[in-house]
Amino acid sequence: MKIRLISFAAAFAMTTLAPVMASAADLTVGLASEPSSIDPHYHNLGPNNEMRRHIFESLIWQDEQQKLTPLLATSWEPTSETTWEFKLRKGVKFHDGSDFTARDFVYTACRIPTVPNSPSSFTIYTSAMKKIETPDPHTLIIHTEKPYPLLPVELAVWGIISATANGVTGDITFNPDGTGCGITSFPQTKEFNSGQATIGTGMFKYGEYVKGDRYVMNRNDAYWGEGTEWDTVTFKPITNSAARVAALLAGDVDFISKPPTQDLERLESEPDITLSSMGSNRVIYLHMDQYGPSTPGVKGTGAPDGTYEGEGPCATSACEKNPLLDRRVRQALSKAINRDAIVDKVMGGYAVAAGELLPQGFFGTNEGAKPEAYDPEGAKKLLVEAGYPNGFELVLGTPNDRYINDAKIAQAIAQMFTRVGIKTSVNAMTKSVFFATRNKYEFSLYLAGWGSGTGEMSSPMRALVGTRDKSRGLGGTNRGRYSNPVIDDMIMEALSTVDDDKRATLLAESSRMAMEDYAILPLHFEVTIWAHRSDLSYGARADQYTMAIGINSKK
Amino acid sequence: MNMPDSILEEKTGVVEGQPPWRRFASDFCESRLAVAGLTIFVLIALSAIFAPWITPQDPYDLMQIDILDGRLPPGSVSGEMTYLLGTDDQGRDMLSGIFYGLRTSLSVGAASTLIALFLGGSVGLIAAYFGGRVDTIIMRVADLQLSFPAILIALILVSILGQGVDKIIIALVGVQWAYYARTIRGTALVERRREYIEAATCLALSHRRIVFRHLLPNCTPPLIVVGTVQVAHAIALEATLSFLGIGIPITEPSLGLLIKNGFDYMLSGDYWISFYPGIALLITIVSINLVGDQLRDVLNPRLQR
Repeated sequence: MKIRLISFAAAFAMTTLAPVMASAADLTVGLASEPSSIDPHYHNLGPNNEMRRHIFESLIWQDEQQKLTPLLATSWEPTSETTWEFKLRKGVKFHDGSDFTARDFVYTACRIPTVPNSPSSFTIYTSAMKKIETPDPHTLIIHTEKPYPLLPVELAVWGIISATANGVTGDITFNPDGTGCGITSFPQTKEFNSGQATIGTGMFKYGEYVKGDRYVMNRNDAYWGEGTEWDTVTFKPITNSAARVAALLAGDVDFISKPPTQDLERLESEPDITLSSMGSNRVIYLHMDQYGPSTPGVKGTGAPDGTYEGEGPCATSACEKNPLLDRRVRQALSKAINRDAIVDKVMGGYAVAAGELLPQGFFGTNEGAKPEAYDPEGAKKLLVEAGYPNGFELVLGTPNDRYINDAKIAQAIAQMFTRVGIKTSVNAMTKSVFFATRNKYEFSLYLAGWGSGTGEMSSPMRALVGTRDKSRGLGGTNRGRYSNPVIDDMIMEALSTVDDDKRATLLAESSRMAMEDYAILPLHFEVTIWAHRSDLSYGARADQYTMAIGINSKK
Repeated sequence: MNMPDSILEEKTGVVEGQPPWRRFASDFCESRLAVAGLTIFVLIALSAIFAPWITPQDPYDLMQIDILDGRLPPGSVSGEMTYLLGTDDQGRDMLSGIFYGLRTSLSVGAASTLIALFLGGSVGLIAAYFGGRVDTIIMRVADLQLSFPAILIALILVSILGQGVDKIIIALVGVQWAYYARTIRGTALVERRREYIEAATCLALSHRRIVFRHLLPNCTPPLIVVGTVQVAHAIALEATLSFLGIGIPITEPSLGLLIKNGFDYMLSGDYWISFYPGIALLITIVSINLVGDQLRDVLNPRLQR
């Protein structure tokens, strides 16, 4: 008799390799996602950038809290509104023995715009530089067209490659047109992947790279700084989280990134395993469609009562009013969300309820900004005031494989909204479909996240709250299409204010206004977790990067 | 719920003096296992049909579930509710969730099987009766489709069609019609050379009448057997699709989705979220297969005792 059963893929897949006897100074790290290339300027993507930092150093380092600290530059300061001077470290050598000088910086800046087929280019971090002067090998003077306070942050994002090692010995004059400053043959991406061109100044050297299997790095004994205690570090991509946890439990790897929330209790109970965690600046938020008089995911609000500039009363065949244009409705949504319950029940305690788009203490935040308190009665009252005593129906869009527990959070929110009378259904989809759908504005309400690369309020405000406007670089990810010219102007002013105190004040004020207007609803900040052997420690990072640089053995 | 044997009673072929349905029933009851399977299946079907009246909670009503009751072990009491089989991560009562999940699973299985049976059966009959080019085209399309794994075709269809119970049914029909087309064509090819068809043709009856009144009734027994087995297959396929997280909306979980929800918590020891829906799915599929196997034996003329 045949019985058809479904066979579920066994998640307890362990690697079949026999445990190799590792010497004390070898480290194996299981990564949740692998880099798309070893080329430091190919793809501006988290996994690429974290690997890049081991080998190619940048002028400036971002510490665990994303504060800027000296690396290849020992000091920097603005010398006028539009010029910056950087003093470079002396005595730094590349892995091939050549000296690091200002020329290498110019060479790298010239290469970045020329990388072919780059899925996400680093050009955004070089485009502000209009002219680079090198009065001596260890001084850089960088001119920008407009006052540009973000320059030091951006110089922390890309790593420097050697001009000499790539066969350029003469002087290089920087040309901002992005054509390569007259240099014709830059190393190709595949030459980085093979290790041939992978020559930086970092504390690790290229060892071996097998895509999908491992990336091995060796210690750079000639490193200028303190260096690392590890002889060899092997990064293994293990994308299935259950398999990654199993590999750690089995001792195949010493360190893993992103253990799944539901396994944390189990891992905590293991005596040989310790968790390291750090609040990240990735905020999970809800964007609400605030564009037209009608919106696709809302039902039960009746016909829209006014025409709207540029379009008729109905953007959709359903032709319903867009309740999200009403600030009271947005406030009601915010009050209906029990952020603490989400943190406790869905995130297992590893999240921090959010009151702004960046966690407390980051640049440009308002001190003491609190998350909206859970107040379902208040939410119901606001809905009555806004003219929706019976609520309405709403569809909440969410990815189900992008952020930690994304679809589960969305379901919890749907429960909470339904309780105050807004019947909410969840439309969960895989991330590629989700982002395509979102970019077509097919959601009235969606859940997404934003990690701030620069660690200052200008990043989320500019991308998520600013009115969509390509020419000003605002609202790139503002698919809720909230628009407030006053806030726009404040962001623009902050973006060209070099004075830190003044900029922080401007950003904090713009953030406060956006929160008071419920332009966007922040939910919580993800807490990034790493699990590792108990005899290791990790300098856990706010930018969620997993780097051997911060892993040390306890002495 | 539609009961497979109620169709049978009317349509089994005409043999000897004993009323056919009685002979059929007594043959069927020879296997105690099959009777047990049928009994269990009827119970499951009843509990699915009457789920809204017998479950303590409506697990699809977001008003009634509370995230704060998430992942409670079986037997927990919270407020006025006793969660006999525990709750899932969203605070849904597992017992209610399973009954409602069965509802989705069974109705998807039955609806897709009936539609596929109708479509595949008609197409297969037409292919066999007319033969020639029509036959070649239809059967090559069916062959082409059968050469792909069912789950792959279902995945493609669901990703094109999108979310929803109706979309899942369409996808499952798309996967299954070829089985019926092939089965009925084989039988019909044999039947159409029989004298009664010749006679009907000589009477200048219309094609439609010959195909549906004469050919079809004599081709049904194998279809019924395939149909029963395919119901179980459809349920399993739906569960697999839900387990993969596509198809059914996540706020209205079917059995597969319940299993998937719990699968995340296996390492943490919250076994009940996956375990009980898994058992429910297993029992359903086994009972349908028991019935299907006995039907095959009873309806197979070569095994006629």
